[in-house]
Amino acid sequence: MKKRVGVFVCECGTNIAATVDTVQVAEFAKTLPGVVYSTNYKYMCSDPGQDLIRKAIEEQKLEQVVVASCSPRMHEHTFRKAAAAGGLNPYMMEMVNIREQDSWVHHDKDQATTKAKSLVRMAVAKALRNKPLQVSTVPITKKALVIGGGIAGMQAALDIAEGGHQVIIVEREASIGGKMTQLDKTFPTMDCAA
Amino acid sequence: MVAAAQHPNIELMTYSEVTDVKGFIGNFKVTVKQKPKYVDWELCTGCGTCMEKCPTKKIPDEFDFGMGQRTAIHLVYPQAVPGKPYIDAAHCTKLTSGKCGICEKVCPTDSIRFNDIPVFKELEVGAIVMATGYDQFDWKSAYGEYGYGKYPDVISGLEFERLLSAGGPTGGQIKRPSDGREPKNVAFIKCVGSRDDTKGKSYCSRACCMYTAKHAYQVKTKIEDSEAYVFYMDVRTAGKSYEEFYQRALNAGAKYIRGRVSKIYPRGDKLILKSEETLLGMPIEVEADLVVLASAMVPAAGAVELAKMVGFSVDKDGWFQEAHPKLQPVETFAAGVYLAGTCQGPKDIPDTVAQASGAAVKVLGLLSKTELATEPMVSEVDVTKCSGCGLCVPICPYSAISLQEYRERGGHGHGPFTRQVAEINSSLCQGCGACLPACRTLALNLKGFTNDQLAAEVDALCL
Amino acid sequence: MSIETNAAGWEPKIIVFACNWCSYAAADLAGLNHLEYGADVRIIRTPCSGRMDPMLILRAFNRGVDGVLLSG
Repeated sequence: MKKRVGVFVCECGTNIAATVDTVQVAEFAKTLPGVVYSTNYKYMCSDPGQDLIRKAIEEQKLEQVVVASCSPRMHEHTFRKAAAAGGLNPYMMEMVNIREQDSWVHHDKDQATTKAKSLVRMAVAKALRNKPLQVSTVPITKKALVIGGGIAGMQAALDIAEGGHQVIIVEREASIGGKMTQLDKTFPTMDCAA
Repeated sequence: MVAAAQHPNIELMTYSEVTDVKGFIGNFKVTVKQKPKYVDWELCTGCGTCMEKCPTKKIPDEFDFGMGQRTAIHLVYPQAVPGKPYIDAAHCTKLTSGKCGICEKVCPTDSIRFNDIPVFKELEVGAIVMATGYDQFDWKSAYGEYGYGKYPDVISGLEFERLLSAGGPTGGQIKRPSDGREPKNVAFIKCVGSRDDTKGKSYCSRACCMYTAKHAYQVKTKIEDSEAYVFYMDVRTAGKSYEEFYQRALNAGAKYIRGRVSKIYPRGDKLILKSEETLLGMPIEVEADLVVLASAMVPAAGAVELAKMVGFSVDKDGWFQEAHPKLQPVETFAAGVYLAGTCQGPKDIPDTVAQASGAAVKVLGLLSKTELATEPMVSEVDVTKCSGCGLCVPICPYSAISLQEYRERGGHGHGPFTRQVAEINSSLCQGCGACLPACRTLALNLKGFTNDQLAAEVDALCL
Repeated sequence: MSIETNAAGWEPKIIVFACNWCSYAAADLAGLNHLEYGADVRIIRTPCSGRMDPMLILRAFNRGVDGVLLSG
């Protein structure tokens, strides 16, 4: 596997760096098979951070990118875009969670750093096997269905209709209005419900 | 309401239920059952002659919780939208015993259809908004100390609304259900079913503090020399102008008592509420003519089944589960399906309207596109390995796998032939990978989480 | 066979296979709340617990893991 992997270790200010020795992790990453470049940076998700990834991809001719930072549930999209900006298929970016699942839940710096290294090794191993993936497209039926014709259903339907699209309200009772129609005046304005 | 009915872009399908949902974001196929109304609404003008002449007049009106009466052919309520009547088949004598048919005779447009049957319609839509609302917690089966519903003058907040409403059974005059007398002392009990792990639900129903303040205020201003007692655990007025509204109720003279009512029992024609005033640390007894319970909100009947049909999850209490409580409060885990209002959790009208508009924006965002990008991390089949056993087909929770004919070129003395192989509909596949362990020939793989990749991860961690 | 949990320097190796939509999110939530747990735990993100092939669990044990938690 002669792929060129770049590893980017985020410090997240002190969120990661206070518990994980990011310099050590970045140095360790260089020893992993396939890794040709690694670095750490204060905020990888910031504009300069993303720029750093983009430039490294171009200059180091990286084929795979590993970002060790927060949870992929947080910034996977961000870093996929950064990888794409560098000319890679966005799915060649692999994220590894060293914040929510490392620096924030451990306080022993040695242990947390060891764990971060191990997680980076895992991510590099996976990244080496990443393949470019293509997003496909499907057409859209430009019509909406609202199930329930109470306050929520009517409001949603009206807003969608005002936006210029067809809406169908399906209501179980013979009249729309829902619970609202049973109410007298409503707080805090005391105007009528219907 | 009328605005929704009259909007040229809105089509109403009332007295109808969703019976099946297939497809995926941008391309749903929904089956709707239109229940028989026994009235042709195309012809009906809503003149109301049928309702005047219907001889079955003494049916307890569900809309007024049985406090009023209605006919068998009726409107849900007089201002119903659409303003056209339907026949309640369970009570109509023509439909139950074949006799009567008066409405048919008096209808000037001949729109009565006693032979009406359910009609199933198939709809094609790109997005779905769930707005199924809530029901009231059935306090009668849970709260023995409040009489299990055997005292007619212990009613729910929604029933009290009907007594306050100008369109209600009393024309807006507060009258006791038992004897029609105007009550002087009205007691309110909050958190009936809410914040009660033992008998009810653990959550706060959010709207009750405010509507109880409103009820107490209305008692004080509508009934002379009245007293409004509010038994509460906490007063939660987190909302714009809410605390001010609560103060208004207090200034009107509502008496707030911090304590849980432990028992209600009758004395003469009055009800006695035994409680504790925890701020004074002493037991208290209040005599009331009418007791109003702020019963909890629970998911609407059938909501859980509907969620299952549409393909997203509900929480422990049956409320529709949002994709993320803070960042995706109107999305569900089913792409293209959005949440509005109390189906997602208890909330009041301002929050409901806000969430509904939020859901509408999500829908508009979706419908403003002409094409939709699909997540590429989906399963794929290596047809050279697939034996066509079909074990993966029933496992897929999204019905994304089907067996298809695959044409082999043949060779080695064989001519071309066809065999069955699994095929993934990548639009339906959500990339869960549940099909992989079922595949005996390793023909299935999940892009982005391949067997190879997960094995490499395990190996790397074991070093 | 006995497991000497008190032996000095012994650290168990535990692999967690966590579903992206629930357990992995829960682990993130634990992080958000700074709920501390042993640093020997390593989480592998899976798209769903349904994705879990028993072979992966056996593979982990085969390579010397002390415990596997499959959560989803």
